[in-house]
Amino acid sequence: MQTIRIFFKKLGRAKYISHLDLSRCMQRALRRSGLPVWYTQGFHPHMYLTFALPLSLGYESLCESMDLKLTQDVDTQELLDRLNAALPEGLTAYGAAAPVNKPEKIAWARYEISLCMSQGSLPLEELFDQFMAQDEILVVKRTKRGEKEVDIKPLFSVGVREPTPQGLRLELTIAAGGETNINPALVADAFEKFTGIPRESMDVLRTQILTEDFALFA
Amino acid sequence: MQLSDLDPILRRVQKPAQYTGGELGSIVKKLTPDMIRFALCFPDLYEIGMSHLGMKILYALQNQREDVWCERVFAPAADMEEEMRRNGIPLYGLESLDPIKDFDIIGFTLQYELSFTSILNLLDLAGLPVLSRERTQLSPLVVAGGPCACNPEPLVDFIDLFILGEGEEVNLELIDLYQRAKKEGWDKPHFLREAAGIPGIYVPSLYEVTYHPDGTVEQVIPRENAPKRVKKRIIRDLDKVYYPSQFVVPYIDTVHDRAVIELFRGCIRGCRFCQAGFIYRPYREKQADTLDQNARDLCRLTGYDELSLSSLSTSDYGQLEPLMDKLLSWTDTGRVSLSLPSLRVDNFSPQLLEKIAKVRKTGLTFAPEAGTQRLRDVINKNVTEDEVMNTCRTAFEGGYTSVKLYFMMGLPTETMEDIKGIVDLAQKVVDLFYSMPNRPKGKSVSVNISVACFVPKPHTPFEFEPQDTIAQLREKQKYMLDCRTSKKITISYHDSDISMLEAVLARGDRRLGPVLLKAWQKGSKLDGWSEHFSMERWYAAMEECGVDPAFYANRHRSYDEVMPWDHLDYGVSKAFLVKENKLARQSQTTATCRRQCTGCGANQLLGGACFADHTDIL
Ligand code: SF4
Repeated sequence: MQTIRIFFKKLGRAKYISHLDLSRCMQRALRRSGLPVWYTQGFHPHMYLTFALPLSLGYESLCESMDLKLTQDVDTQELLDRLNAALPEGLTAYGAAAPVNKPEKIAWARYEISLCMSQGSLPLEELFDQFMAQDEILVVKRTKRGEKEVDIKPLFSVGVREPTPQGLRLELTIAAGGETNINPALVADAFEKFTGIPRESMDVLRTQILTEDFALFA
Repeated sequence: MQLSDLDPILRRVQKPAQYTGGELGSIVKKLTPDMIRFALCFPDLYEIGMSHLGMKILYALQNQREDVWCERVFAPAADMEEEMRRNGIPLYGLESLDPIKDFDIIGFTLQYELSFTSILNLLDLAGLPVLSRERTQLSPLVVAGGPCACNPEPLVDFIDLFILGEGEEVNLELIDLYQRAKKEGWDKPHFLREAAGIPGIYVPSLYEVTYHPDGTVEQVIPRENAPKRVKKRIIRDLDKVYYPSQFVVPYIDTVHDRAVIELFRGCIRGCRFCQAGFIYRPYREKQADTLDQNARDLCRLTGYDELSLSSLSTSDYGQLEPLMDKLLSWTDTGRVSLSLPSLRVDNFSPQLLEKIAKVRKTGLTFAPEAGTQRLRDVINKNVTEDEVMNTCRTAFEGGYTSVKLYFMMGLPTETMEDIKGIVDLAQKVVDLFYSMPNRPKGKSVSVNISVACFVPKPHTPFEFEPQDTIAQLREKQKYMLDCRTSKKITISYHDSDISMLEAVLARGDRRLGPVLLKAWQKGSKLDGWSEHFSMERWYAAMEECGVDPAFYANRHRSYDEVMPWDHLDYGVSKAFLVKENKLARQSQTTATCRRQCTGCGANQLLGGACFADHTDIL
């Protein structure tokens, strides 16, 4: 029996599949594929399926992954072909291999964010630079224990920031996994508060999941 | 419309995956000029509508045809409706995201009376006039079918035509006629006249209703060659009828999210309050082999790990044991769990009981429907107290500690003694538990009784009966609570207001159309959801329209009164209903159809006897 990590994209309509529903959806796809997936023993046997880093509802991703166990070896290409034939629109598996990193090793995630918002007194990218020049960026974070104020400045970095006809495009690397997990919406909220310009919408695409040393989660 | 047009609003609503389409099994086609576009609408939320078997069958069946593209439409939840209205997004089909006002045919399924206002709301959300006469063009044609079509009179102002009975054949015939109408350029009146010639199609605008001074119907007069009575359609050979091998598999949680096979249609029992037991007659079943194949196909193509057996009464299926053998030969290894709803455990062989015990995980439910044997005889519900007790004993021995019992109150001839009988029966179950030395150790028992209010329904032997008034029902509810002797018994009952409204709409006539319109204008929609329902709105609407609910709900109707639905022929004769009503009054039961044919008339739909081993009385 081997554990396999399957990497998949979640694009288009599939971005509206919630994390909980995704698990059910994948289980059904795996059943349709006929792949020899291992089930837990006991009174209520179920597929042993774990997902690395939950993706917020409405976000797209190029780098989702799930771990499962197979009772027999299956050739990688065959595995991908059979799974893809069974997946609904918007979900595409593109890689499968034995896991290298434990999910606890996830430390960062990279996102492409398109903000649709109107210009302020200054071009948005300049406002964004000013926003980044602050000593600290305080946001209110909701946790299970209630709300608390955190400085997220040390928790993300900016790769690209460029104007678009609709507003602003950003590439951010943000703390992910475990205690310090930050949703990109928090950054956008803080920027919105800083500028006083409400955004009309925000498209988010997760492009990479990284470990502590910024290596690809594999 | 593109998905990107919806993106901004989908981000703001709950469970957006119900509004995007794209689920596995959903059918997307390339539009061609001669393609008929059909919007199959369930006038309730996605999570309800997606659970409905009839919808799955018609969806797959119509999409089999190359010249038809059938799409699904459900009522949006309140948050989505608000966004749609604010952003000018008209109601769209989930497959193409195109507005359904541009479709050829919009078809509603009528499953329960409380969904009627949602039909108006959906038409309005689509950007169409709700009134049939204001939609002067042929397209979109608005049609409706399903059980409530057996008395569609309250809806005739809004729906162009109704489809009576089972839809597999007649829907396709309707589409054929529509194709012809499009080619030959017919207008709407021309089409409707022709459609009335298809058996099973009821075009209400071709009938004029006159009333007596006392408000009862005098006669229903057909015009323009429309048939005097419209006969419902059935599928004679159920074993050969089309059955989908693929369902649309939803992303979000729905009420019944599983593979389903349909064991049979109709029912052999004839419980006198049960509309389904009469309007779906006669009993026709599928072969165990066919069902097994249906089940295998569905599980393989959908990936479902649960399979449910659908029918009005699973244990009445004539081939249940062979079917269970076939299914259990692969469901276990395939990790598919079976669920058997509507099960009467009493008439099972021990072997079958054992097989079922393996698959039944849910709690034990039982539906004696009435508290005393006398009243159970009145309603022809053939469950005895001994049967209830024996089943409970077996269940307790098997480790069950909770039992749910379903009852009705307000049944014809009911007295307070019958109400007390409900609680007494529950108490006997409690006592039984504690009298058993081998009961589950260290556990206590809980008996839940759920009590619905009786709603007299058309085409049943009780169609003549008055419903109890709300005051009477409340008094009985209070008395029932007073009778309770044990904390182990919990009692829940239905809201009598809602039941009264159901009674009004179920046996209503055309004068309820304006009431529906007013109630909707005042904000009624999704009435089946308590957070949306307001009886005040309905009372106000009735008052403004000069309609007295008591006339419809609480009035005794004589055997010779012309019912608003008498021109709709569901196979069971009115003479039979009268006979059954008289037997009820004498507490006389009627045998099941499998034991003996009692001549209801439904066999004429088959053109022969319902059961090979006895001769039907014609
Ligand atoms: S015709 Fe006879 S057997 Fe057939 S449904 Fe009616 S009563 Fe039952």
